[in-house]
Amino acid sequence: MESARMLVFNQLETYLYLALMLFAIGLYGVLARRNLIAVLISVELILNAASINFMAFNRFLAPTPAVGQVITLFIMAVAAAEAAIALSIIVAVYRKLRSVNIEQATELRG
Amino acid sequence: MGSVNPFFLGCTLSLVLSLSAFGLIMIFTWRRPKLSLAISLTVSTICLIIAWLTFIKLSALKEPLILSVDWMMSDQIRVPFGFLLDPTSLLMFVIVATISWLIQLYSIGYMAGDSGFGRYYAFLSLFALSMLGLVISSGLLQLYICWELVGLSSYLLIGFWYEKFSASEAGKKAFVVTRFGDIGFFMGLAFLVLNFGTLDIHSINSAAMSKAFPAWLLTPAALLIFCGIMGKSAQFPIHVWLPDAMEGPTPVSALLHSATMVAAGMYLLTRLFPFFSCSPTAMTVILTICTITLLLSSTIGMVATDIKQVWAYSTISQLGFMGMGLAAAGLTGGYLFAGFYHLTTHAGFKALLFLCAGVFIHHFHTNDFFVMSAKGGRRLLIPMVTVTIGALALAGIFPFSGFFSKEAILAELWNLPNKMWLGLGLLGAFLTAYYTFRVIFVLLFPRPQAVGGGHGVEEEHGHGHGQEEEHGVPWVMAVPLIILAGFTCVLGFLQAPIQKFLLGEVHHHAPNYVLLVSAVGCALGGIGMAWLDWGAKGAKWEGFIRKVPVVENFFIQKWYMDHFWRWFLNTVIYGLFSRTFTYNDRRVVDGGVDAVAFGTIGSGRLLSFIQTAFLQLNLLFMVLVLGGIGIYLLMGR
Repeated sequence: MESARMLVFNQLETYLYLALMLFAIGLYGVLARRNLIAVLISVELILNAASINFMAFNRFLAPTPAVGQVITLFIMAVAAAEAAIALSIIVAVYRKLRSVNIEQATELRG
Repeated sequence: MGSVNPFFLGCTLSLVLSLSAFGLIMIFTWRRPKLSLAISLTVSTICLIIAWLTFIKLSALKEPLILSVDWMMSDQIRVPFGFLLDPTSLLMFVIVATISWLIQLYSIGYMAGDSGFGRYYAFLSLFALSMLGLVISSGLLQLYICWELVGLSSYLLIGFWYEKFSASEAGKKAFVVTRFGDIGFFMGLAFLVLNFGTLDIHSINSAAMSKAFPAWLLTPAALLIFCGIMGKSAQFPIHVWLPDAMEGPTPVSALLHSATMVAAGMYLLTRLFPFFSCSPTAMTVILTICTITLLLSSTIGMVATDIKQVWAYSTISQLGFMGMGLAAAGLTGGYLFAGFYHLTTHAGFKALLFLCAGVFIHHFHTNDFFVMSAKGGRRLLIPMVTVTIGALALAGIFPFSGFFSKEAILAELWNLPNKMWLGLGLLGAFLTAYYTFRVIFVLLFPRPQAVGGGHGVEEEHGHGHGQEEEHGVPWVMAVPLIILAGFTCVLGFLQAPIQKFLLGEVHHHAPNYVLLVSAVGCALGGIGMAWLDWGAKGAKWEGFIRKVPVVENFFIQKWYMDHFWRWFLNTVIYGLFSRTFTYNDRRVVDGGVDAVAFGTIGSGRLLSFIQTAFLQLNLLFMVLVLGGIGIYLLMGR
């Protein structure tokens, strides 16, 4: 039992499924939620899914050059910056529209 | 390099110094007249000393000294830069340095108190730089660059009083008209470098002398280069800029007319004389054009009332005369001596005439010599004597320099099989003597009834020098006059030494008494005619040409050349080319740019319906497309 559980956590597929789930949830959130903050959170989920993929592949397939981990670090940095920018955009949108509903932002309609 | 030839060092030094004088004055000291003058005059004096030293040291030169650096090389094409010191360039170098030094000296008096004093001296330095560079350049491209610099500096100096509309117009006219000829010059250079492979003056001349040029290359190249000479030396039909160039300060006119701008053209003709004389066709064209110019400008000079205009037209006619001499020598296998000798003597006496005119203009504040005469112009003793000397030289009277050089040119014309050219040359000499002495007699014998202020005919006063000072001829203006008058008296007797210097040997001709008598007869006849019309007690004070009003009007209207060019500009340049190009610019170029811009805007409008403002719809499409691409890339192939 103990070894079987260890086995589950010690194989690549587990992490890939986890990443897939996170990605799917994030994609759903981005496409379906109307609240901008929820969209932002979903984007973060997608990024994390990607990070997990990198870590997993790094751990199980190509362990020696720790490139996957480095890229994950980069993704975290980018995510931080992206979060800051996105939040400031959301604040600006809220100031202008008094709402963070994505359907209200239609000024650039062609 | 090892040891550098001191002569080349001297040449480089004079060019660099002139350039730095121009730079220094223009950048730092143009607000300070005294300092600018000091800089410019020092540099000019150094150039003068270098020029004379080089001239004296190299007076026994056998082979031309050449310093040549390949500035550009490409397969068959060589463009050299450097110096070519041979008798021709050395003599011209001395002339340019001397005249420009004298004119800088003279300008101290003439330009005193002018607000642009520093700028004036900067331009004079630039002028000296470009002309000295032109004279000693070894390659035609270098010569062309200096040629254009000469054009630029004369533009700057002619339009020196740019706040005066006519002056700035005249500067522009000089620049554009000479550029018109320079197009031909440049095409000639391109033609030469493409087909002959080098622009080195010495190799062109030696190739021409050994008949290495095919005729199809020679004649077009010579004619195209002559276009540039026509522009610079103000030959028919693009002489129109030179009379207008009188708008500049008078010392500038003197510089322009004697040793620099217009002399550059004839100098080039002399420089490439072996090359030109290989093509009889080109030489015949040159002879024709120069003869037309000679007659045209002498006849206009007969009716002008502005003293500077008269001298300007006399310059044009004398340049035509030089060209005739060179062309005749080329056709008969003669030497370049006659034309170049006339260029030398002309530089002296024409500078003298202009500087004298400058004194009168400075003193009486008018350009009209009838007014000068009425205001007592003859009482300015020094300029009056020197202007008479200059006029005698211009008319070709013994023992002044013009006599000898004109005689040399007429001897060349005599050698031509067709005596018509000789006849026309003699007619030109007659007219020259006539219009020159018209000015002199009008100045010498003022009429009481002429334009106000006349005191009747008075006795000639023997003024001392001190009284001249009182009359307002400062010594800085008088000294150049006296020096130039000295040159005019002496140069004629130096014919044999100069000939020996230029050609390496003296060619003695048996004196041709028929020619001598007819030439002197023409000159004296011209003076006598002028005496009858303007000098004698009972003279009517109107030219003999007045009897034929149609012809007189034709001359007063300057043969309608200005009208012709105005018409040409309006119909051909503005009417045809400008209009076509404007149309092309508006419709094709602008239209093309507009079409691109409007197309972009229109397609943007068309495609903007895609932007629905439903962010998530767009995102959905994006995800679907990306997914599709992913599936295709992973499994599609």
